[in-house]
Amino acid sequence: MRLLWAALVLAQWTETRFPHVLPNGGEKTKKWILETTGSGIAVFDYDNDGLPDVFFVAGDGAPSRLYRNLGGTKFADGPAFPRVGWGQGACAGDLDNDGFTDLIVTYWGEPSIYFNQRGRSFREQRLPQKGTRYNSGCALLDYDRDGDLDLFIANYLEFDFATTPPPGANPYCFYRGLPVNCGPRGLPFARNALYRNDGKGRFTDVSAASRIAEPDQNYALTPIVTDADNDGWPDIYVACDQTPSLLYLNRRDGTFSEEGLLRGVALDENGRALSGMGVTAGDYDRDGHIDIFRTNFSDERVTLYRNRGDGAYEESTAAARLGLQTRYVGWGTALLDFDNDGWLDLIQVNGHVFPESGAYRQRALAYRNESGRFRAAEAPELPHSSRGLAVADFDNDGSLEVVVNHQNEAPSIWKNKAAGNWLRVVAPIGARVRVTAGGIMRVDEVRAGGSYLSQHDTRLHFGLGKATKVERLEVRWPDGQVDTIPVAGVNREVRVANAPSLPRGGSR
Amino acid sequence: MNWTEDDEVDSADWIWCWMTLAISLLIVAQALEDGIAQFRRGEFESARKSLSTVQPSPLRDVFLAISEVNTGHCADAEPKLRVRYEVPELRRLAGSALLQCLTLLGRMEEALPLAEKLGREFPRDPDVLYQSARLHMQAFNDTVARLFEHAPASYRVNQLSGEILDVQARPAEAAQEYRKAIAKNPAAINLHYRLGRALLVTGQFDEARREFETELKRNPEDALAEFQIAQIDAAQQKPTAAEHYERALQLRPGFVEAMVALARLRPASAIELLEEAVKLAPAHESARYGLMVAYRNAGRLADAQTQKAELDRLRKPPEGEFTEFLKRLGEPSKP
Repeated sequence: MRLLWAALVLAQWTETRFPHVLPNGGEKTKKWILETTGSGIAVFDYDNDGLPDVFFVAGDGAPSRLYRNLGGTKFADGPAFPRVGWGQGACAGDLDNDGFTDLIVTYWGEPSIYFNQRGRSFREQRLPQKGTRYNSGCALLDYDRDGDLDLFIANYLEFDFATTPPPGANPYCFYRGLPVNCGPRGLPFARNALYRNDGKGRFTDVSAASRIAEPDQNYALTPIVTDADNDGWPDIYVACDQTPSLLYLNRRDGTFSEEGLLRGVALDENGRALSGMGVTAGDYDRDGHIDIFRTNFSDERVTLYRNRGDGAYEESTAAARLGLQTRYVGWGTALLDFDNDGWLDLIQVNGHVFPESGAYRQRALAYRNESGRFRAAEAPELPHSSRGLAVADFDNDGSLEVVVNHQNEAPSIWKNKAAGNWLRVVAPIGARVRVTAGGIMRVDEVRAGGSYLSQHDTRLHFGLGKATKVERLEVRWPDGQVDTIPVAGVNREVRVANAPSLPRGGSR
Repeated sequence: MNWTEDDEVDSADWIWCWMTLAISLLIVAQALEDGIAQFRRGEFESARKSLSTVQPSPLRDVFLAISEVNTGHCADAEPKLRVRYEVPELRRLAGSALLQCLTLLGRMEEALPLAEKLGREFPRDPDVLYQSARLHMQAFNDTVARLFEHAPASYRVNQLSGEILDVQARPAEAAQEYRKAIAKNPAAINLHYRLGRALLVTGQFDEARREFETELKRNPEDALAEFQIAQIDAAQQKPTAAEHYERALQLRPGFVEAMVALARLRPASAIELLEEAVKLAPAHESARYGLMVAYRNAGRLADAQTQKAELDRLRKPPEGEFTEFLKRLGEPSKP
């Protein structure tokens, strides 16, 4: 099957479209908030052929779709996923440690866990939940360091078709004088959930015991796992809509403490809660610490939080020359080195929640990182009402592509061509990787979950600029041990995942 | 005790009287209960009818009066509301309904002081705030109508139109009105400031800055114009931002927003600035947040935690909706 090629060729990006429109509520008007929030993407190599495949989540009306990567940014239909419902987010990882990547899809309703049947098909199992939850983003992490991937699921709010007021019913159901779907304000809060894996893909709800469920005044959308305080244990940041965002710090005893406010990532620098939608993490200023970037609603600045390295953050949006564009509602996002110059660039997709607003479809934004300051760069010009975004080098040519899930339109892939050298590192989820080349150290983490209800390719991509040699590749494994790995050259993939021959501890 | 025949007749009458009274009381109690139930369902006309048959009591009066207000019988409601307004536990409820009544009757000279008084006593009450907002909206509408009627060609009409468009988030149209106002009265102060704000919202930073500078030429003591220039410079990462914040603070020493913004640019004096800001405006969340971060950055974690606790307190949602209180009034008290 060939992709439908759009007649849009840009210097940096070429946009093409996947063949299927994935439904997500009304196109002219939306009666319920449930129609506005979907949906995400998960990039993962389900058949272990070395090419990242892509899964797009659909809203009610049609099943979600997995496309198998044939190479050269050509895709074919992959295994079918028959469930139809209000799909929201997706994340992927090897849940049962069988060497094949499994998939989690969140819904308004019980999440589906799809166990990968050796790259040929998927077996669905529902994750039991009390009541009908509005599950939003998911993320995988080994929070207890027992060697398997546990599951965090954000919960947006309490939604019920029977009790949610119709558009225009109360002051929370208007936008600039227009009656629109109600919420999130005015709708009840919900709590986030954590499920512990027994190593065989069987999950136990530990939300209360782990204290994940304690915060109860947040409209949670997208989680991202990062080691915020540099202690070697995975922490969880959650972008929240219209309420303070959350930072769950791992206390290394099976519990978390929520410290977003004190750590400086809950609010903007004026102490206001913004409408957080998407989130990404990366070392944008190359100081060795992982920073956090969050997309927000229109008329609000995006928010860049610089990690000070001591477990605290400070907002650096203005200092990094971001936040001047406030017209768009931001969703999926990534800090990615799309020009391979060694600095993490930035991309975000946009789209209004209300078709009635007259600005439903909005352009994407791209920024080139110039020594820690961002400058607007070319982005695909076609406006969409986009939601999920994920990044991968789909054709393994050393340049990163972007896939985007839109509302009421076929998903897009933005092909990119970058000069500059690069290194791709395949490491387990939760690993932190440091690459030094040309005397400059770059750092990244392998994450399952982020962007907006989505997951990027877990293979880490490092732009190296003109460097022709990798001086050092250091991996901190999920259990905290650190290894250095020899690298023969640049413009290649280094697989350090599943490397039982490598003894743990110390350099070699 | 010996009973005579007359005694027996008297006793029977007496029992009959008691039974009648008891039944009457039950009927009255039922009517009160029905009226309150109808009120809670929003059936104000039925509630008014049911409650008007019930013997006066504080509870009956207040539900009856609010039912009357909601069915357009303010004149009947007013005397009862004035009496119950003096009962401390009914003050908020009766006062809010009385304010609604006076607004509906157009008696602004009585409504405005009552709104002020209620606002002081119940500053976070949603119903009091709502009724006050309605009152001021009515007063605003009346005044605007008079301005447009008596001075349609005045620059003030354009200025006010611009300000209304600003509120409606239509900055481009607002800017047009401000420009018309400036053309009619180039010497008027505040117009260039308003125009600058409208331009700022549409992202025209350089044009906005020029308008603020023009405003400062007309009114060199305009701290707000200085502040806006500082904000633009800060957004554009210009080193001149701090000087403009400082100048704004010289012009208006208690300018909390300027203190908060300057603290971000002057980390060495951030704590001093923000402690002053919090002293001046204890409920200013931005100042509290800035101070928490400044303490944290200085390693004063206990002080940061104190500020966080204050922030948590400030951010806590206001006490339950007034209507919840209203509902509880009619419910039997719990043991």
